[in-house]
Parts: sequence; structure tokens; C-alpha cells
Amino acid sequence: MAKVKVATVWLEACSGCHMSFLDIDEFIIDVSKLVEFHRSPITDIKTFTPVDVGIVEGSVGNEEEKEIIEELRHNCKILMAWGDCACFGGVCAMRSSLNKDDVLRCGYIETASTYKGKIPQSPGVPALLDKVYPANQIVKVDCYIPGCPPEPEAIKYGLTELLAGRIPVLPSNIMRFD
Amino acid sequence: MSEITLTINGKQVKGKQGDTVLAVCEANGVKLPTLCHYKGLTDVGACRLCLVEIEKERKPVPACLYPARDGIVVVTSNEKLEKYRRLVLELLFTERNHLCAYCVASGDCELQSLAYTYQMDNARYQYSWPNVIVDSSHPYVVLDHNRCILCGRCIRTCDEITGAHALDFGKRGWKTTVSADINQPLGESSCISCGGCFQACPTGAIFSKGSAYKGRPDECTVVESSCAICGIGCEVKGLVKNNRLVRIDSPDMSRERGLLCDMGRFEPLYKPAERVTTPMKRDAKGQLASCSYEEAFGAIAKKLGGMDSVAALASGKASTEALKAFADLNKALGTKLVDTLDGDDFRTISQGIAKFDSKAGLKIEATLEDILSADAILIIGAHPVKTHPVIGSYVMRAASKNKAQLVVLDPLRNPFTFRASVWLRPPEGKKGLAIKALGNAILDHGKVAGDKTKFSAEFKEVEARKAAKTLGIDVNDIYKAAEVLAESKNSVIIYGSGILQFKDADMVATILNLAGLISSKPKVISLKRYGNSRGAWELGISNSKSSVTSELTKGKIKGLYLLLADDLADSQALADSMKGINFAVVQASYLSPVTAKADVVLPSLLWTESKGSYTTLDGISKSTAPMIKGPAGIKSDADTLKGIVKHLEK
Repeated sequence: MAKVKVATVWLEACSGCHMSFLDIDEFIIDVSKLVEFHRSPITDIKTFTPVDVGIVEGSVGNEEEKEIIEELRHNCKILMAWGDCACFGGVCAMRSSLNKDDVLRCGYIETASTYKGKIPQSPGVPALLDKVYPANQIVKVDCYIPGCPPEPEAIKYGLTELLAGRIPVLPSNIMRFD
Repeated sequence: MSEITLTINGKQVKGKQGDTVLAVCEANGVKLPTLCHYKGLTDVGACRLCLVEIEKERKPVPACLYPARDGIVVVTSNEKLEKYRRLVLELLFTERNHLCAYCVASGDCELQSLAYTYQMDNARYQYSWPNVIVDSSHPYVVLDHNRCILCGRCIRTCDEITGAHALDFGKRGWKTTVSADINQPLGESSCISCGGCFQACPTGAIFSKGSAYKGRPDECTVVESSCAICGIGCEVKGLVKNNRLVRIDSPDMSRERGLLCDMGRFEPLYKPAERVTTPMKRDAKGQLASCSYEEAFGAIAKKLGGMDSVAALASGKASTEALKAFADLNKALGTKLVDTLDGDDFRTISQGIAKFDSKAGLKIEATLEDILSADAILIIGAHPVKTHPVIGSYVMRAASKNKAQLVVLDPLRNPFTFRASVWLRPPEGKKGLAIKALGNAILDHGKVAGDKTKFSAEFKEVEARKAAKTLGIDVNDIYKAAEVLAESKNSVIIYGSGILQFKDADMVATILNLAGLISSKPKVISLKRYGNSRGAWELGISNSKSSVTSELTKGKIKGLYLLLADDLADSQALADSMKGINFAVVQASYLSPVTAKADVVLPSLLWTESKGSYTTLDGISKSTAPMIKGPAGIKSDADTLKGIVKHLEK
């Protein structure tokens, strides 16, 4: 049987979800037998190729992240969201209730440790979106593994279900938002 | 109430006429998700989670408001209802900023737990991300609007259980927020800090500063006890983790004395002063230094045992067991002058009662629950919201639920003066005349008790009109107050420190006579200062003829045993009165100006650390259970006192 092709992306987040994935103990050996990682922070491959499963960690808060998640969606059959940021907005979405310009000014100019601060204007730095969005507000998401970070148990459950050909919905007893 | 039979999920169940469908479900073990429903509060149907389908109803209805009727057929769960419930949860999660990962209530949140139950792993709606404030202006609680779901449980608790009604909904439509008074910061509002809103809040929208991040309830052990602070004896439930009080809740706020106030709910979470952790005595240099119990007892037995002019004072904060041992110690020492810190209050009240009825004693007083059923309440020289907040709540609840009319007779403003039907404001020191004028006006009104002659003599001496002039009170107010009281069917009179401070037993007798005159025979309650004041009085510890605190200043007393327990009140004044003492022993929980004056200091446990009995101000026995362990090696107050007696016997 051909290996299942997987791509993962790490958007506006702390990488905790990927860490939690690496924390699934010996199950990772089973996963590696069944799964082939394409673009991912784990493989360090930077270009997209068509895959079966796309996994997104993190919320969408700037133009680059928006582009990445759209491209991932375009290249995958099933998209799974990992963690509170991708599922609900998470910690990154704290800024969503504030004005974007205030946030930039506060971060780059007003902080106590900043001397002669400047808001980055370079075209190489992706512009912030007005708000931070969970993945499903930008593209269609097929399944969700919330948690901050998700318990390895939850990640394992999600992968097992997907590999068995089912769309995972976390049972209540392993669902956590913190 | 008649029994009814209805069908829930295909099963025939019984209920009572007047129950809601939700109540019948709960009684029959059918679980329904709820958020805005809370035991003891009026249901409002705000959250729509308890929606059920009822045959012949056009659309789903909230079970918490739908009256159960004989023969109705209820379905509590089907695909459509479950879909609606998940939808409601998603709407709640997208309305404000519910970000569990950094919420203080995560793991102890009804909203989160329902989201788990409904496997809500995402929300399909656009998020509002409103920019709302976190109001941390209050000393004990934080109002975080980010987490609020507008269930209104805090608001209804504040109104229906606390009676303060400091919280309500402000603004309109989707901008609606919980708001204190007229959108005041909570810390500057009329909030009385009872913490009921914190306990009722299903999410992290209202949390306690003293409890935050100390531990989740499921990590805590629970100890049920009763509060020993002010003499009401409210039931408490201490949540403890690693020998630290995480929070103090009421086991059931809908029960009587289940309300709590800032003193019982929040203050024990903080440390007001440094603790006395070991026995201490003066060393060769005259400094207080730690020593063993044996050394301390030895010093006490040697010094106090050989003195003639010894006095002993106890605070009404000590438990009954400690006070009994205190009495035994005084017997062993032969102490002639024994008193409590509030002995004057006792003498004033008991002599006042004796003048009214020589056989009555403290039993003449009402129980606090009488306040709840009153339709008229006269408050004389008392500020229960400050001194006994739960009594304040009882009064406010009587006023809002029974439409009880309040008459306040007090020169000072208090939270009742603006709610009162009449506020009689005599100049300070003329309260006695004002009470008599009120009695005279009641006689004038005509509707008086059958046996009025027994009580009316002193009210005939004054004339309301003339007295009103002297007092600077509008005579119409006096007559209005007289009418309220004379026409009442069920009344209560509460008096407190504003009367007792004058040490005038006649004034207490006048109040009792006034009660005798009113046809509804009001029950009278005096507000006592300490948690176990009445317990100490009933043990006879305040039977001294004169006050030891005033004897102290005369300089004749040379030795003093002071059982303070966890009392910190008036410690500077007390320390100042100890100037002429040659040898003082202070048994206290905290270091204070009083312990600084002592020659021997003995440690004392707090009420949260010890088992003890207390008598409430209306004479009910309550006991505390240790919620946490006190500093290592500290004996209970009673054992400490018994230890000294043993040494004296050697």
C-alpha cells in the first residue's frame, strides 16, 4: 500500500502542536511506516506538492499565512486543524479585539525596552490582517483537534482515525481547550 | 400540591403541580444542559440550552420556564435539539473572547465543559472579538467581560440572594454587559463584596483575586465548616490544596445562612498580619524570644500564680472550648476580674432585658430568619451591612421580596437610609428621645398591642411633636414611621453598636418596651460584636460588674491574661490601656501592638485551622472544622490554657 502523503504547516502559533505530535511516543514509528511527510517544519521541505492530508497548526494573522493556508488547502484532500489557534484563534487572537495599528505601535514603539522603534514597512515583511482568524474562517477545514497544545493522545486519535479512513471527531473525554 | 404525571422521553414520570419541566427532569434523573439556571434563583430562559420539545408546542421551549402539566409529552434529546444546543454553544463562544487557554476558569467552567460534552471542536460563526474591559477595581473579585455569556446568574444572585442588586444588565442589544450600579467600576459601586456573583458565575467572567491560579476545584479537598467571624454562623465549604485555602464557598447559597460575606469568603484567603508561630517570652535583654510551651507555662505560673491583682480578658472570637478552659484557668489563678472585650455590650443588653422582664434573658431575642419574613423592620443605631453583612442581606431581601418597609433611626447614613420608607435622623446622643417620640406617635396612632399599658408609661412622658422640634426631625416622619410599625403584621427591630456604645441599659429597655407596644410584637435582635460573643456571655465570662478594659486604665491591675485568639480589632487601644501592667500574657494568632506589650506570648490557631464550637448571636450552636493546618506545633487554645492550669497545680 502506498504511504499516505501528509503536509503540515506552522502558522501563527508556538509550534506546541508539532511538539505534541513528536510526543506520541512509539506510535511515531507506526506513523512513519504509514505516512510520508512532504512540506512540513519536520522535513524542512518548503514547497507544496499534492498530498492526501494537510495539517495546520496556528491561526491566520498575516498575508503570508493566508497564502500558505490557501495553498495547503489547494494541495490537500483533507485538512485537519491542530490546536486552539487553528480551531478557535487561540492566544494569537487576543489582538483581534484591538485595532491593528494600535497593536503595531504598542509592539514596535511603546514597549518599555524599545528605543527609537519603527514599525516594519519592508515589503519582505508580510502585512498583518485586520484580525487573527481561526483556519476555518479562511478555508474549509475538515476536522479539528483542539487543545493548547492538544494532548499527544488527541493527536494520536486524530491520525489513527484518518489512517482508518474516518473523519475524526474528538470524544469528549480527550477534548481539551487548555 | 397535587401530583401530576407526564411523559419524558417515552417514560411516565411524576412531578408536582407548579414544577417546571426542568425541575421534573432533575428530580427524575433526566439530565439537561443548563447555563443560566442556578439553584435558588428565578429562571429566566436566557441560555436556551435546556430547550425541549413538547407535543403540540409549535417550537422547542426552555424547560426551565415551561410549567409541567399533567399529561404533557416531553422529548429532551433528539437530533434537532442536540443540533440547536451545539449551535447555541458556538454562538456563545463567538460572541465574546472565550480563549480557554489563558482563562483563569479553564477546567472549572460550565461553558467549557458543555463544549466538551457537545464535542464542539470549532465554531462556524464569525467571531465578534469585542473590545471589552477587565474591571479589576474591586479588592476581591475581577469582572472580566471577555468571558461573560450574559446568563445573568451574578445579577440574580446579587438581587435575590444578597439583596444588594449592585449588578444588573447595562446597555442594549448586543452591547449589553453586566454592569455595576450605573456603569460604575465594581470597586466603587454599591457592591457589598459578598462574592455570591463569583460563586454563581459559570465561566471565568467573575473570579476571585485571592483564589486565581491557586488550584482547580477538582484538585482540592473540600472541608465543610461554619464561619466563626461575626456571630451569624454561615455554612462554609473550604477548598484546600497543599494546605492552602484556595477558596471558600457556600455549600448552597439558596439555604439560610448559606450566603457568606467578604469576611467569611475572602478575608481568610489573605494574611492580615504576621502570625505568632511559637510561644515567646522576654529574654535577659527584655526582648520577646521563642521558647518552649513548658518555659512559657513555667513563667506564667511563676508570675501570675503569685499575683493578687490579676485580671483576665477574653475576646468573643475564641471558641467555647477555649473560653471554658479560660474560665478554669481563672478559677485556678483566683482571678477576680474576668471579662470579655465586649463585656459592656453584654451588661447593657442583659440589664436592659432585665428591666423589661426580669426572667427573660437573651432568649427573648429573635432568630435571624425572622427578618426574612418581616414586613416592617426598624433598624436603630446599627450598620449590619458593615458589621454583619448577611443580616444586611436579610434586611435587603425582606425589603425586595416581601416589600418590607424599613424604618431607620440613626444619625449616621448607612445603605438602608436611602431604601428606607422613613429615615429618622436624630442628632448623635439623642437616639433615646427619638425612640420615645416614636413610641408616643404609635400610641397616638392608636393601633397598639392589647397589653399596651405595661409598656406605654415612658412613651407618655414625651410628646412626639415637641420631641420632633428638639430633635430637628419632621414630625410627619415620626408619624409615618409610627404608622409603618403600628400597621405591620410581622416586624423586627434590630439594634447595634450605635445603641450599645452608650452603655445605657435604659435605652435597651426602651427599645423592648417599644416592641411591646407594637401590635405585631416585633422580635428584637441585638448585633453582637464577635463570632462567639453570645457563647462567652452564656458561659458567664462577662458577669463582672465593671468593665476590665476600664479597670485597666486605673492602674490597679498588675497582672493580665489576655485571650485574643485571632482578634486584631482595636489592638492599639488595648495596648495603650496595658501601660500599668507588670506582667501580661497574650494568647493570640497575630503579632500586634498588644503582643508587643506582652511578657509572654502564646500562639493561637485561626478558626479556619481548628475545631471549635461557637454560639451565634441568636443562640444557635455551630462548630468549625479545621480546613487547613496551622503553623507546626501550635496547640489549640483550650489545650494551651489547660497546660497552664496543670503547671499551676504542680
